[in-house]
Formats: sequence, structure tokens, C-alpha cells
Amino acid sequence: MGIEFHHVVKRFENGSVALSDVSMTIPEGSLTFLTGHSGAGKTTFLNLLLRLEKPTGGRILVNGVDIATLRRRHLPAYRRYLGMVFQDGQLLEERTVFGNVAVPLHVVGMTARDAGRRVRAALESVGLLPKAALLPAQLSAGERQRLVIARAVVNRPKILLADEPTGNLDPTLSKAVMGLFHRFRGVGVTVIVASHDMALVGTMGSRVVELEHGRVVGDTERGMAGG
Amino acid sequence: MSATPSGAWPVASKRVWPVEKRPRGAYWRDHARVLASTLSHLSRRFATTLWVWVMIGIALALPAALYLLESNLVRIAGEWRENPGFSVYFAPGVSMDQPRALVGRLESLAEIDGVWLTTPEDALAEFRGLTGVGEALALLDDNPLPASVRATVTADVSSARLSTLAEEAAGASGVDEVVVERSWLERLAAIRGVVGRLSWSLAGILGLGAILISSAAVRLAIEARLKEARVLTLVGAGGRYVRRPFLYLGAAYGLGGALIAAMSISALLILLEEPLVRLFGSYGRDLELTGFDPMFHLMLLASGAVLGILGAVVASVQRLRRLNTAS
Repeated sequence: MGIEFHHVVKRFENGSVALSDVSMTIPEGSLTFLTGHSGAGKTTFLNLLLRLEKPTGGRILVNGVDIATLRRRHLPAYRRYLGMVFQDGQLLEERTVFGNVAVPLHVVGMTARDAGRRVRAALESVGLLPKAALLPAQLSAGERQRLVIARAVVNRPKILLADEPTGNLDPTLSKAVMGLFHRFRGVGVTVIVASHDMALVGTMGSRVVELEHGRVVGDTERGMAGG
Repeated sequence: MSATPSGAWPVASKRVWPVEKRPRGAYWRDHARVLASTLSHLSRRFATTLWVWVMIGIALALPAALYLLESNLVRIAGEWRENPGFSVYFAPGVSMDQPRALVGRLESLAEIDGVWLTTPEDALAEFRGLTGVGEALALLDDNPLPASVRATVTADVSSARLSTLAEEAAGASGVDEVVVERSWLERLAAIRGVVGRLSWSLAGILGLGAILISSAAVRLAIEARLKEARVLTLVGAGGRYVRRPFLYLGAAYGLGGALIAAMSISALLILLEEPLVRLFGSYGRDLELTGFDPMFHLMLLASGAVLGILGAVVASVQRLRRLNTAS
């Protein structure tokens, strides 16, 4: 699913402007990094796509449709096409690794057998299948982040959004996590990753959009460092 | 992508992000999963659950007990109303010829349905049987109880005519007192009216209380599971799916409260059984409580469940409505 931002403005009730005249096109099956310092507007950008916020100006088109016009009752259907990797993980601590990943499949009413198959495949893809019976608290920071990614992709989203997915990880783990996003891009998923780690993003070999005070100040295609 | 030829942007519709048809049985699987998680939640927090059940139980028991009392008063009044009449008490020591003369006179009247004569000896035997103070009475030289005549009138006799008949009986020789049962029934009807209104008023007030108790308890559960509700919303769960566990919880609180109420009323009836048997016996009747039947229990459970769910709806509407926003 392609995404288009047309002169998007987001102004909050207190008068602060999070995004100002942002226009860009994100093609289907691409990987885009949003970078910028804290407060640059990265999270707001993702919240607008999740329809947690509505723009105060401009249009956001997903699959050719203005998502601001989505009625509340249509939001669940829209969000089932999205996968979200949250900044703070949002893991359900009382559920096992398996149970956390199964949540989106329960929502769509999948049978236990089909859900089990999908969950195992998702855990396998992030290397967590041996830890399926553990609780999130028993995982390392890197494993928790991979668990969040597994939950985001288990329902085969068309768009994957990630907000600071490497925030708490060391450089090696960060690269491994970013590598996962490359893999999902490879199977046709549109991936948007917000990260303040410009050094890491610069080595990932993809489009990098730089935000500053809510404005796009850079939009470049970069090659993968070190092959 | 761009604007349509007419210049308008396409608007969202179901066709753009079609909802995949849910697999067969998904609805029931959801309910089974929610039921299991609700039972698990209740058992893990059993002390809190018991506390909520007792509070809701108390709120339901009082109006339910008053409803039972009212429905039994209605029945008792109805039964007595079929046989209105009066009792004539003669002065102690009066010759039995005078009561017998009154019996003869009353039996000749077409409005009189039945006449019963109770001699002082019969009255004493009855008194002994009811009060258990027979040995004390044996110490008395004379029987202090008077002869009495009880008469019932036919159903078509008006209250005014009943009073006239009683006044005529009061004028008979040797009569000490006449008691018209109609006046007792009128008091009973007035009491029934008070109990009825009290029952409905308390049902309203305490029902609201039950809703608030359920709402507060469910709100605590929502706070504890707010992150889960948020995650569910963001992975595409609809409002009903997110609210369902909390509605089940409200229903469980209400049902448990109703069970506590039913058990409390049962305990109350067991406590009251003996004095009630004695009271009814003094009127020559067997204790026969009506209304405490399966239908009553069903209605009590249904009321509890509905009030619990209403409380859960209030809590979930208040607490979950902002899940679709970033704040």
C-alpha cells in the first residue's frame, strides 16, 4: 500500500506545531527511515498514519484514500492492515511470548490451530521460537524488541510502522533489528521506521527522510554501508 | 495518487480495506476466551471479588426481600378478602344461650355465609395449644376466656353493610366487643401499599448503588488492563471486542451479587420461619410463603446481571473512549 502526504500540518490544541507542510510519497514495498532529534515530529507522523491523530491541514492518502475521512467503525479494518512496533514495546507482561504474538490473530478470530502456525512462523522469523513459553520479563532487551516486531508482523500487515525500535539496544542488536525491517520490505511490506539514531540509519541503505521542527529538511536515498 | 477528475479526494470506505470474513465459530471462540479470562480474573482476585459480590448482594437483597413481603401481603389480603366478616366476643361468664341465640339469628340472614361458635372451653384449649402456657392457666379457678361467634358474609356484601351487620350484632345481649375483619384488612392493604412503594423506591436507589459498585470494580479492572485494551485497539480490535471482557466482568459481579442476595433472603426466611409459623397459626392458618420460587431467583439473577453489565458499560464508556487517540 502506497502512502502520500500532501501538505500535511498537525497543530495541537496548545498551539505547538508538530508537522508543518509535510509532503512526500512513500511507495508500496519500500523502506523509509524518518530521522530527526526528539520533537522533530517523527512520532506524530506515525500517529497520523495509525489514525490516532487527525491532521489539522492537508491530506494523508493510504492506498489512495484520505484516512482522515475514516469513520470510527472503519478504523479496526484499516488498522488490521498496519503493524506497529511501539517505542515502549507495549508488551502484555502477564502473557507468554506466544500469547503476546497471538493477540492480533485472536482479534481476527483465527482458530487456535491456524493462529499457532502463524505465531510459530513469526517467532521463527525473529529467532524467538525456543522462548515461546517464557514471559516477556524473562527476555533480554533485544529479545523483547524482536518480540514486539513478531507481534507487529504476525497478521501479515501491508504497512509496518516502527517508532524508535532500537532505542534501548546496543549497536549490534540495533543492526540485527534493522535487518529484520529490510527482510519485511523484501516481501512487499511498506516499512516506515522512526529513529533518532542518524548514524545507524545512515548505514542501512534506504531512503532517509530527515525532519526538523516538523518540516522535512532532507530526503535522500542512501546505500548500505559495508556491503 | 491524486484527486479525482472532479477535484475531490477519495473518501474511505469498506471496499478499500475490506474486512476479511471471520472464520467459522470465531464469535463463539471469542466468547469462550473471554469467559475463561473472566473466571481467571475473578479467581486471581477472589477477595476483591467477594467484597464486590457482598456489596451488590446487600443492595439487591433488601428490595428483593421487600418485594417478597409485598407479594405475600397481597396474597394474604386476597385470601382474607374472600371471607370478610366479624367476630363477636361475649362478656366472660355469659350464659351460652345468648351466643347460641345470636348464631341462630345470623344464620337466618341471607348475607351471612357462615357462622362458627367458639365456647369458652374451646377458646381455652386453642389458647393452650398456641401459647404453651397451659400449666399456668390450670392454676386459675375460672376460665377467663369468653365465648365468641365468628361470622363471614357473602362476597357481594359491601363494607358499609358489613359494618351495619356488626353493629346489629354488637347490640345483642351479653356482647362485650365486635371486631370487623374488614378494618384489619384495610390496614393490611395500607401496609402493603407502603411496603410496595418502599420496595420499588429501594429497588431504584439500591439498583443505582449496585450499578455504581459494579462500575467502580470494573473501572479498577480496566485500569489494570488498560495497556492490553490499547494494544487490542491498535492491532485492529473493534470497540465491542475491547469492551467485551469488562462487560463479562460486570455480569459476573452482578450474578455473584444476586446469588449472595438469594442466599441472604434464604437465611432470613429460615430465621423467621418459626415466629411466622406461630403468627399464622394464631389466625388458624398454615405458613405458606409464595414468591420465593425459581422464577423469583431467575429474575433476581437477571436483575443482578443487567445491573452489573450497566455498571460495566458506564465504566468502559468513560475509560475506553479515548483509546483511539494518541493521548
